[in-house]
Amino acid sequence: MSTEDGPSRVELLQGTLDLLILQTLRPGRAHGHAIAQAIARNSDEVLQVEQGSLYPALHRLIKRRWIVAEEGLSENNRRAKFYSLTAKGRKQLDLETSNWEKLARAIGQILRPRDDEVTP
Amino acid sequence: MMRHRRALDDLEREIRDHIERETEDNIGRGMSPDDARQAAFRKFGNVTLAREDARAVWVPQWLDHLRQDLRYGARMLLKNPGFTLVAVLSLAIGVGANSAAFSFADALLLRPLPVPRPADVMTVGSTTTIEEFSTLLASYPELVDIRDRATTFSGLVGFTGATMGFAPDAGASPKLRFGMLVSGNFFDVMEVQPQLGRAFRAEEDRVPGRDAVVVLGHDVWMQQFGGDSSIVGRTVRLNGIDFTVIGVAPPRFAGLYQFARVDFYVPLMMSPRLSADPGARPLEARDNRTLTVKGRLKPGVSLADAQTELSVIGKSLERAYPETNKNRTLTARTELQARIAHDRTDAIVVGMLNTLAAVVLFVACANVAGLLTSRGPTRAREIALRLAIGASRRRVIRQLMTESALIAALGGLLGIFVGDAGVNLFRMIQLPTDLPASLSFELDRRAFVFSLAVAMLSSLLFGLMPAVQATRPDLTAVMKANDTVGFGRRRWGRAVLVAGQVAGSVVLLVIATFMYRNFHRQLGAGPGFRTDRLLMMSFDPTLLRYSTQQSQQFFEQVADRARTIPGVTSASLTSSVPMSSEGPGIVNILPEGFQFPPGKDGVTVLEASIDESYFDTWGLTILKGRAFRPTDSADAPRVAIVNEEIARRYWPQQDPIGKRLRLDDERGPWVEIVGLARNSKYTFLTERPFEFLYLPYRQRPPARMTLVTQAAGDAASLAAPLRNLIHSIDAQQPVYNVRTIEEFYRMRVVTAFNVVIGTVAAMGMMGLGLSIVGLYGLVAYGVSRRTKEIGIRMAIGAGQSNVLSMVLRQGMRLAAIGLLIGLLASEGARRLLAAAFGNASRESDVVPFLVVALIVLAVTLFAAYVPARRAARVNPIVALRTE
Repeated sequence: MSTEDGPSRVELLQGTLDLLILQTLRPGRAHGHAIAQAIARNSDEVLQVEQGSLYPALHRLIKRRWIVAEEGLSENNRRAKFYSLTAKGRKQLDLETSNWEKLARAIGQILRPRDDEVTP
Repeated sequence: MMRHRRALDDLEREIRDHIERETEDNIGRGMSPDDARQAAFRKFGNVTLAREDARAVWVPQWLDHLRQDLRYGARMLLKNPGFTLVAVLSLAIGVGANSAAFSFADALLLRPLPVPRPADVMTVGSTTTIEEFSTLLASYPELVDIRDRATTFSGLVGFTGATMGFAPDAGASPKLRFGMLVSGNFFDVMEVQPQLGRAFRAEEDRVPGRDAVVVLGHDVWMQQFGGDSSIVGRTVRLNGIDFTVIGVAPPRFAGLYQFARVDFYVPLMMSPRLSADPGARPLEARDNRTLTVKGRLKPGVSLADAQTELSVIGKSLERAYPETNKNRTLTARTELQARIAHDRTDAIVVGMLNTLAAVVLFVACANVAGLLTSRGPTRAREIALRLAIGASRRRVIRQLMTESALIAALGGLLGIFVGDAGVNLFRMIQLPTDLPASLSFELDRRAFVFSLAVAMLSSLLFGLMPAVQATRPDLTAVMKANDTVGFGRRRWGRAVLVAGQVAGSVVLLVIATFMYRNFHRQLGAGPGFRTDRLLMMSFDPTLLRYSTQQSQQFFEQVADRARTIPGVTSASLTSSVPMSSEGPGIVNILPEGFQFPPGKDGVTVLEASIDESYFDTWGLTILKGRAFRPTDSADAPRVAIVNEEIARRYWPQQDPIGKRLRLDDERGPWVEIVGLARNSKYTFLTERPFEFLYLPYRQRPPARMTLVTQAAGDAASLAAPLRNLIHSIDAQQPVYNVRTIEEFYRMRVVTAFNVVIGTVAAMGMMGLGLSIVGLYGLVAYGVSRRTKEIGIRMAIGAGQSNVLSMVLRQGMRLAAIGLLIGLLASEGARRLLAAAFGNASRESDVVPFLVVALIVLAVTLFAAYVPARRAARVNPIVALRTE
């Protein structure tokens, strides 16, 4: 979508946005814009999130009761909606993180095999 | 729901905030405010999409769309109130008329037996090849034979109806109630569980006269015993015999008779004791065919299988008992077949009403179809626009279907009221009898659903037309097109619809007029007997266990003493009152010297046992010979009076007086004909001439007779003195069906006639009204489309009258085609009807056709004239400027 130049960007895999949001909320609550920024910053601007798609994802997570929303005041004293993990969401995050790591390791092994394993 | 509402409520503000922050960040990075804002929006992406996607998390999309479609549809309908009103009313009339007509069919013909899996229950009986009065019946020995041999039925029951004197205890005076004598397996085979107590046991149907047990009907249990559950084990009296109550039938089950509710059930084996005649052997005589037999088919067995088996059994019975079963076959019929065979007139009226209602529904649907298609061009452009700005084809189609469904649903809802009005009209038809009759008309749910589905389907189908037009690939053509392009083919289809509508309403009107004239003529001609100044009252001395001898004396006494009451000018006895719902008796006769076709050796005719004053009292005419005399007694030579129809068929061009016939069969007694009576009506006013035999009651004593007295003045005033008279003879004697013949005739004939005529006429008017709207709509639509063309014509010199006649001609051409088709179709329908009603009208009756043709022409002319005049007033300058 973006027309900006910069480091080459990667479109998000289906479903990974949820995981990223949960991970972003691990340290504590955050509002929508902050979540979007954090995802972009933490991935060194590599992961491309269309910011608009963040909101349907947030609603999806609320519906699954992995996160909750509450009213609050932001750093510059503006009213904002803050999202935070529920216990259920935290469990889900742990589960998905470990799943993701397993998957990433497996794919990495297939794509970059160690030499001794490939050739006798 | 609460959660999603909260989550969504803030979404709008949240998105705004988000973009705000992004913008501020961008400004912080040194962008100009405008650029910063633009970049923020770019980064956010499609705001609407985000909002809708978030919403879709909570609300399923189809529901959301449905809500939008409904709101939009409702707005469209409100914006075109005329269109909506006509469409909704049309459908309401169509749906309502159909539901009402079907409810009529349900009450008279279709309502299934109140037992589980009623479709498996067949009527079985013995018939000869004579088909005239083919209510299927069997004798008890035949029932036993069929039951023992048939393998296709899981069970067969036999039963007969009987009115008996019913007393809740020995002290109370008996009241006449209707019950069933049933075989012991009756409740088991019918799979009806008594609500209280138990059903009959097998051994209670083994020994004649031994087990005096009774299952009460639910109605009588509630009315007479207040629903007292300690009733089981108590005794009630039937015809003076104590019966132990063993159970109570459930409320849903009131016997197997279509029009009567049953108050009690007793074992068939009790019939010899309940019968007054000690000589009667109702269970032994193989030719005493008074039982109705119903069998439940085994699962997976078809009617044809059962019929094959029954034919074989019938053949073997014929071989084993040639005396009683010669030329007799066993037949099985579905309940519907049995009912149609039992009452053809009802079946014909039912069929006719439903056909007419279907025509009304067709006309109504055609109307809606026409309306919807005429909106096509306007809608098509709107739809093309919506498609152009990105609506999906599916979504547009769904929108149109929602709109059509909305119209159909509103029409259906209103149709309930129309149908209910019809059903209320039908409820005016009552059976003139003291017994609990159950001719109940209920708005039929199946019919309603069916006609609603038809309405739904047609409006959906035609509602899609604009979508089909508009969703063709070339959007620009549709959007640019003015009305004159591209819709020619559909207009042709609409013309066919309108012509069909006119034809349909012509058929409706012709049939209505035809029936009205016919019924009117028949009402005018009368039944052939007098209906004024007569009072009837019935007695059944067997209720008090009179012997035949005693009954005879009682009747004689009643008639003799009735004649002495002041104000009575004539009094007579008859076994049956003409046109009563119980119907006349039937008897098999073998006219001497008449050669029947092979396989047939007699004919069943209607019969009444009467006394010597019968013809006088009723004002009936003896054409030749004499009426009966008091001397035509049991030990005198046997005599009979035939009507013209019997004489015409069996002794054509001969004098029937002095001829002889045998009663019952070839071993039956010879009877000499002493009189020839003029034909009159015996079962209903519209019947074809029936063969009718009168027998002197002293020679053929009936159990039950009706006294008919003729008054010098008001017949109703005779009721009290006559009641006193009866009670002075026997204080216990129940008197029932006390009515003036005038009232009886009105209830039985006039009301039913008026209701049927009224219904048909209403349908005719509805049909015509709908077609007027249809024709008007089509012509008006044509005019609006051709405004420009008309403008040009007028600009180059056409006068107002030219335009007027051009438009009129177009409308009237359609009307004329429809009229012609309609007239042809109604002649066909009229012939069917005339054939069905026998003598209704053999000669062709042109008046209905003329009347209807004139009405339809006048009305359609008006429908076309209104828009034509508007066309003629077109101002060419304005018309040409509009494009």
